Formats: sequence, C-alpha cells, structure tokens
Amino acid sequence: MRLKQFFELVDIQARMSLKAEASKLYLSYLWWILEPILYVLVFYFVFDVVLNNGRADFLLFLMCGKIPLLWFTKSVNSGSNSLVQNKGLIAQLDVPKTLFPYITLQEALYKQWAVFLVLFGMVILYGHNPTLNWLWLLPLIIVQYLFIAVCTLIGALLVSYVRDIRMLIQMGTIFMLFTSGVFWDINLIKNEALKQALLIWNPMVYLIDAYRSILIRDQLYDTQHLAALTGVMAACLALMHGLYRLESKRIAARIVAS
Amino acid sequence: MSDSDIILTAQNVSLTYKTRTGWLKKFQHQALSRISFELKRGDKLGILGHNGSGKSTLLRILAGIVPPTSGRVICPNGIRRSLLTLGLGFREDLSGRDNALLSAMLQGHSNRDAKAHLSEIKEFSMLGDFFERPLFTYSSGMRARLGFSTALYSGIDILLIDEALSVGDATFRDRAKQALDKKLGGDQSLIFVSHMPGQMAALCNHVIWLQDGHVKLAGPVAEVSQQYEQQLINQP
Repeated sequence: MRLKQFFELVDIQARMSLKAEASKLYLSYLWWILEPILYVLVFYFVFDVVLNNGRADFLLFLMCGKIPLLWFTKSVNSGSNSLVQNKGLIAQLDVPKTLFPYITLQEALYKQWAVFLVLFGMVILYGHNPTLNWLWLLPLIIVQYLFIAVCTLIGALLVSYVRDIRMLIQMGTIFMLFTSGVFWDINLIKNEALKQALLIWNPMVYLIDAYRSILIRDQLYDTQHLAALTGVMAACLALMHGLYRLESKRIAARIVAS
Repeated sequence: MSDSDIILTAQNVSLTYKTRTGWLKKFQHQALSRISFELKRGDKLGILGHNGSGKSTLLRILAGIVPPTSGRVICPNGIRRSLLTLGLGFREDLSGRDNALLSAMLQGHSNRDAKAHLSEIKEFSMLGDFFERPLFTYSSGMRARLGFSTALYSGIDILLIDEALSVGDATFRDRAKQALDKKLGGDQSLIFVSHMPGQMAALCNHVIWLQDGHVKLAGPVAEVSQQYEQQLINQP
C-alpha cells in the first residue's frame, strides 16, 4: 500500500467513523463541544464549589492538564483495542496492520481540535489573551501526537498477543491521571531528583507543564527537552513501524485464531 | 506454457491452529497438511470441500493474509491477489454510498478512483434511493447486492472467492453471474471455494477436493465433482 493511499484511508475511515457516531446522537457534532464543556463543569463543581482549595485559577490549572491528558487516555484506550476489534477485516485483507491503530488515533485527533477550542476559550475567559507564544502550542501538540502514537502502537500489539493486557492498559491510564501532574504542579516539588525523574520518565508531566507554561504563565517551555523528546519518540515510532511490518502476517494469524 | 506464466505456487502448505481454551490449556488442530499446486495465468481453480475441511483457511493463506505454519506460497512481485469479500468492512450506520467508498478503498483503490466508480456501483447494485440510506435499513438481499457490486470493481490478477454467488434475488443473481463471467473471461485467474460442485462446474476448469486438510483428489472439474457427489450419496 502506498503512503498516500494509507493516509487517505486513515483519513476517510476516521471521518466516516465520526460521521456514523454523530448520526446516532440527537445533538450530533455538537457533542464534540458539549462533552468538554460538561467536563469543565463537573470539575468546577468538585474543585471550586465543594473542595475550594484556595487557588483562584485552580480550575484553569486543572483543565490545562486534564484536557491534554484526556486526549492521551482516550486514544490509547481505544487504539489498543483496534487490532482485535477489526478481526473481520484483518481476516480478509492483507493491509499494513498500523492502519487500524492510526484510524482510532485520527478519530481522536479530529475530536481533539474542538476540545482544544473549548480550552482556549476558557483560558481567554480567565483573562489570558492569546499572544504569539501560543504558536508554540503547535510543536507541543505534534510531539504529544507522536507520544500517543508510540503508546497506542505498543498497546495494540501487546493486546494482539494477550487480550488481558487491555485491563492493564486501562489501569495504566488511571495511573497516568495521578502521576502526570493534572492535580499538582511539577514546579512545586521540592525533591529535585524526583522532579527530574518524573519529567524524564513520564512525557505527559513535561507536556502538561509546557501547555500551562504557554496558556497560563505566557512563557516559553524548555525547548531542548522538547527536541530531545521528539527525537526519542520519532525513533520509537520508527521502531514500532518496523516491528509491525515484520510481524504483519503473524499478527493476522494470531487475531484470526483468537 | 512456460514457467513465467505461473502466478501462484503453493509448496507443502500446512497450518496448525493453536487456540487457548483456558488457563494454560491449548487446543491444537491441523487445519491443512502439505497442500501443493500451481496456478497459471488464466487458470480457474476450484477448491471443493465440506464445512471444516480447511478451504477458507487455505484461501486466507493463498491471499497472503496469514502465513502457513510450514511450506511456502510463492507469488511473483507485482501480481495482485485479493479475496473477493462481500461487504468488506461495512458499517451499519453509514449509507450505501459511504460503505461502497470505504470498501473500495480498503481493496486498494485511491479515494479518487473509488469515487469515480461509485455511480457504476450504484447502478449495478440496483439499490436506487437506498444507496443514500444507512445500511441498517437494508434487507439482507440488498446488503448482498451492495457487497457484490462493490467487490466486483477491483482490478486484480488473482481473484479469490469464497462461495459468494448465492446473493440476492434471482434477477440480481443472473446479473451477478454475467458480470462475473465477463470479468473472468481471458487472463483473469480465479480460485473459487465452495462446498457445492454445481457452482464449481460453472466457473472452474480444475478442482482440488479438500478433506480434513488433505488433498483427497485433484483433477478436471467433471471427474472430481462426480467422485465428490458419489461420496455425498454414500454417506449415511
């Protein structure tokens, strides 16, 4: 399959999927905006009304972490199932197996634009007007996509071996919720060694702090860290693609026999 | 014919399934055992066998989807082979048009190519306005018509077909048969899988009879069909 064809197929499959999903709901595409708004409202109720922790912009702080993380968890959770879920197609078609994880990733990406718009709207409501610095969000989003793609490809491959791993992945994304700095600020951690370890080993910690840096503090994040992260993610992604190519027929055989 | 006309070779193809049935419990099943044959350009090969004889599994291996446990399938570079599958990747909540587009693209057409074929598919499927409606409003016959019409538009060297002809009502069946005959004329190679010798006689010239994963008999279609039917009658 040629590269252009691969991208066309990923794009059209994702758009059709979203269209099909929207066609079943009364409010259809409106849910793309409504869902994140409802999320914000739930968090507002819990953290501002019930728990009221004193920090004036705590809700904004939370959402700048929660929304990027939500993109990660949703993509990885659904993408990890993508190979076993497409058993019917895989049994009948000799296509690159990366196709299926990428379709779910693309679906999540298309939805994420709406969610980011809600986030940006919220940032502006809190009095932070857009500056040129916001352009630095683009590399962040791209690197986060790479990170999500690496995790999803690994997840989907592992689930094709042992389906039980799905459960572990779900637990893993909950673990990520608490260790990625959605509820706490990495810059307030006193233990320097722990702080560095978190930043290095959990890319979401760095990414979330970088989003906040642009959107709340209006400062540029550590670009060297981003460059290093890009390199590592690109290398991992290339490795995964090689592995998928090598394993393509064995993946099909396993899924057909399961 | 020279060797260069051989477009698909199976050499001692065997397949063993290992299925996990419980914690550390495995079930092993020899689905295919040492199957060998050659397919030349323009050949129409039938694979005949009862349910569970391994014919669909063999087709999947020949299509290059799964690897055999041992043995080899050799297909020269540039030869395109594909399973003709009815309703490949169809989704209930999308319209006939969208499904046809998706399916054609999955079979290797570019977006532009697939779109160019949509009016032909619509015309051939005789679905009329239903072409624009979601699939869950279709009857099973309409679904089969859409599936067949979509699958037919794929330009490939070796067609692999799994008992696909019994679709739709009588009128459509005739159209389907004619369209297939037209497509199969000349250089188009075919591997057709069925448990019915009748269908086989209409499409194939050479037949392999599979039983429990072994080649029971191979030869001209009339001869193999006759023995196969004989066995059907003799069975209690």
